[in-house]
Amino acid sequence: MGGSRWTWRLLALPGVAWLSVFFLVALYAVLAVAFGNQDTLSQPVPFWNPLDWNVGYVLEMLKNIWHGGQFLTVSLRTIEFVTIAVVLSLLVGYPVAYFTARHAGRWKGLVLVGLILPLWINYLMRMLAWINLLAPDGLGTRALHTFGIEKLFLTLGLLGAPGGWLNGEPTTVILALVYGYLPFFILPLFVAIDRIDARQIEAARDLGASPLSGFLRVTLPLSVPGILAGIVLIALPMFGDYYTADLVSSSTQTNMIGNQIDEFMRQGSQKVTGAALTLLLSVFLLVLMFYYLRTTRRAGTSAQTA
Amino acid sequence: MHPRQSGMSRRQLLRRSAVGAAGLSAAGALAGCENTTTPIGAADAAGEVSKAAAELVVPKPLGPAGLPLPRSDNAVTWAITDDNKPIADGVKPEVGPLRIYNYADYVDPATVKKFQQKFNAKVQVATYNSSDEAIAKIASGAVSFDLIMGLSGSNMVDLIARRLLKPLNHSYLPNLEKNIWPELVDPFYDRGARYTVPYVVWMDGIGWRNDKVKEDIATMDVPWDIFWQAQAYRGQVGILDDRRDALSMPMQRDAMRRDVRPDLNTEDEAVVDKAQRDLSALSAICNPKITITDYQTLPEGKTVLHHSWSGDVLGGVFYYRPKNVPPSALSFWGPVQNGVVQNDFFCVGRTATSPALAHQFINFFLDERNAYANFVDFTGYTPPQKNIDADTLLKRNLIPKSLTQAIVRPDQFAANQELLQLSVQGQRFWDDAWSKFKVG
Repeated sequence: MGGSRWTWRLLALPGVAWLSVFFLVALYAVLAVAFGNQDTLSQPVPFWNPLDWNVGYVLEMLKNIWHGGQFLTVSLRTIEFVTIAVVLSLLVGYPVAYFTARHAGRWKGLVLVGLILPLWINYLMRMLAWINLLAPDGLGTRALHTFGIEKLFLTLGLLGAPGGWLNGEPTTVILALVYGYLPFFILPLFVAIDRIDARQIEAARDLGASPLSGFLRVTLPLSVPGILAGIVLIALPMFGDYYTADLVSSSTQTNMIGNQIDEFMRQGSQKVTGAALTLLLSVFLLVLMFYYLRTTRRAGTSAQTA
Repeated sequence: MHPRQSGMSRRQLLRRSAVGAAGLSAAGALAGCENTTTPIGAADAAGEVSKAAAELVVPKPLGPAGLPLPRSDNAVTWAITDDNKPIADGVKPEVGPLRIYNYADYVDPATVKKFQQKFNAKVQVATYNSSDEAIAKIASGAVSFDLIMGLSGSNMVDLIARRLLKPLNHSYLPNLEKNIWPELVDPFYDRGARYTVPYVVWMDGIGWRNDKVKEDIATMDVPWDIFWQAQAYRGQVGILDDRRDALSMPMQRDAMRRDVRPDLNTEDEAVVDKAQRDLSALSAICNPKITITDYQTLPEGKTVLHHSWSGDVLGGVFYYRPKNVPPSALSFWGPVQNGVVQNDFFCVGRTATSPALAHQFINFFLDERNAYANFVDFTGYTPPQKNIDADTLLKRNLIPKSLTQAIVRPDQFAANQELLQLSVQGQRFWDDAWSKFKVG
C-alpha cells in the first residue's frame, strides 16, 4: 500500500511541477509588474523582491474604482454581462444536460458528440462565422426576422434596429458569450446528473413525490456541484474574455474588463496599469473560486453525512 | 489625487496599506512598499540644465530617456555613434534571407517576389499588430530584423533611445533623392534621413459610402461634424481604433470650427480631456465601432461612415471591394490643412545580418515602378514619389473622382501635422483619455 501511495505521488509530480511553473511563476510575474514601476521608455520594470514593491499603480486603480471612474464602469458591465450569460447558459444548458443524462438512452453517445462537436472548430472561426450570419443581409439575420425573434428583441428593447445585430449591441455580445462557452457548461453538468443514483429518484417517487417535486427536491440539489463546476468553468474565462466583444461589437458600450487589459498591455505606455487591472481581476476571481470550493466541500460533507 | 501627491509618509502608507493590501498579497510582504507611479529615473532623464537656460528658455517637454521630441519647429539630427556605424560603401548584397518586420498586409507580395528574383535572395516577412508591439519585440532582443517597415515619427525617439536602428548609407539609396518628395528626403524628425527613409504617406479623413450616406460630406463647413450628426447611421459608423488618431479628430473639428491651427501633439491635459468627452458623446449619437477594418467594412457596406486612414479606403477599392460595388460608391475627404498626415518609414535594424541587402530592398521600393505597383496592386497607401499623384491614377481610370483626396499631395502633407512622439507624461494624458473613451 505504501509503495502504491508513493507511486501515485510521483506520477502527480510532473503535473504539479507544470502547474507550479506555468501558473505560479506567471502569477508572480504579474504581481512583480503590478507592484513594480516603469522606466523612462514607458516599459514595465518588475520588482521581484516583495520588500521593494510599489503599491502606487494598484492604489491608483482602487481609487479610480472607488471614485466611480472608468474601471468601475467596465467592471460592473463585465459582471452584468457575465452574470446574464451564466444565467442564460444555465437555462439553456440544464435541460440539455438533463435530457442527455436521463432520457437520451442509446443516443446518449451521439448527443454528447453533438455537444462536443462545436469545440472541434476554433472559437475565433465560430465567432467569425456569426459575423457573416448576423450581417444585415446574413442568413441568420433573415432567419431571426422570419421567425419573429427579431421583432421580439426589438419590442423588448434588446435590439436597437432591425437587422442591427452587429451594431454594437450588448445583447449580441451576451448571446455570443453564451454560444461560445455553453458546451463547457453542459459537459460537467451532464456528468453530475448522470452520476445521480436513479434509485434515489425512484425512492422519492415511491414516497409520493410528484415528478416536479422529485426533480426539485432530489435531482436539482444533487446536481448543484455540477452546476457550480459549470459556472466556474465558463464564468472565469468569460470575465477575462475580450475577443468576443471585439468581434461581434467593437463598440465602447460593450467593452469588457478584458478589453481594457488588452488595451493597456498591447498599446500605449501604461503596461503596469494593465498588470494592476489583471491583478484586481484575479483577486475577484479568487474570491469566486473560494466560494465555489467552500460550497462544493460543504456539499461533499453533507452527502457523506447523509 | 495622483498617488505621488497623496502626501502620505512612508510610515502612514505602511499603516494604511496593511489593511487595504492584505487581500492582494501578504501584508508582511508589503512592509517596504513604495507608493509612486513616477517612472524610474524620470528626474534624471530631464537632465541638468544651466541656470541661465532655466531662466531664459521656455522649456520643451522631453521625450523618453530625456531625448528631445522632434517637431516641425524643432528638427533633430540623431548622432551616429562609434559603436554603430553605417555599412561601408560598395558592400555586395548578402545572400539573405532578408528578415523584414512589418504590419500585416502592408507590402505587395508580388513586388517582394520581384525583388527576390532580382537579387536571388529569400525574403521572410514577420508581422506585428501595433507599433508598441513591434518596438517591445525588437527591444527584447528575442528576434533581430534586417529591415523594419511601417513605424513613423510617433516612434522615432523610442527607436533611437533604445538604440534599435542602424544608420543608413545613402550611397545605396540613389532613388531617395531622385524620386522622393524633397521635404521627406530631409525630415525634421530625422535630419539628413540618417536612420529612416520614407515608405508611404497617408492622412486621416472620412471614408463613406456615398450610395448610403445622403449628406455631401466634402462640402460641409466642418466635415468632421458628420460624426456628431450621424444618428441615422447608428451602428454603421466607425472610428479608428488608435488613441492618437481618434482623439485628434475632435481636436481638428474644434480647430476647424474656430478657424485656428490645432496642436495635434498637445500635452495639455484639458485639451486631451475635452477631446475625450467629445468623442465619448458619439456613443449616444451613433454608437460607433472602434476598428481599423474600414478597408473591408466600407466596401462591404457593413459600415457606411468611417474615420479612416486614406490608404485603407484606397486599399479597400483596389483589393477588397466586392464585384457588385463600383469604386465610385466610395468617397474620401481629408483636410487640406490642420489635419493628420503620417509618413511610415523604412529603417534597418541595428543587429541586421543582411544590412546591404536591406539597403537594396529600400532602394528597390523607392523605384517609381515598384512603388507604383506596391501602391495600386496591393496597399493603397501613397508612396511619396514625385511622379505618382492623383491625376496619374485618374487618367489611368484606377480611381474615381470621389477618391482623389485619398492620394496625399506634397502641399497637403506640409500643411497638415504628423502625430509625433510625446513625453512620458503627455502620453499618459492621452492613454488615460483613451481608456475612459473605450469604456463608453
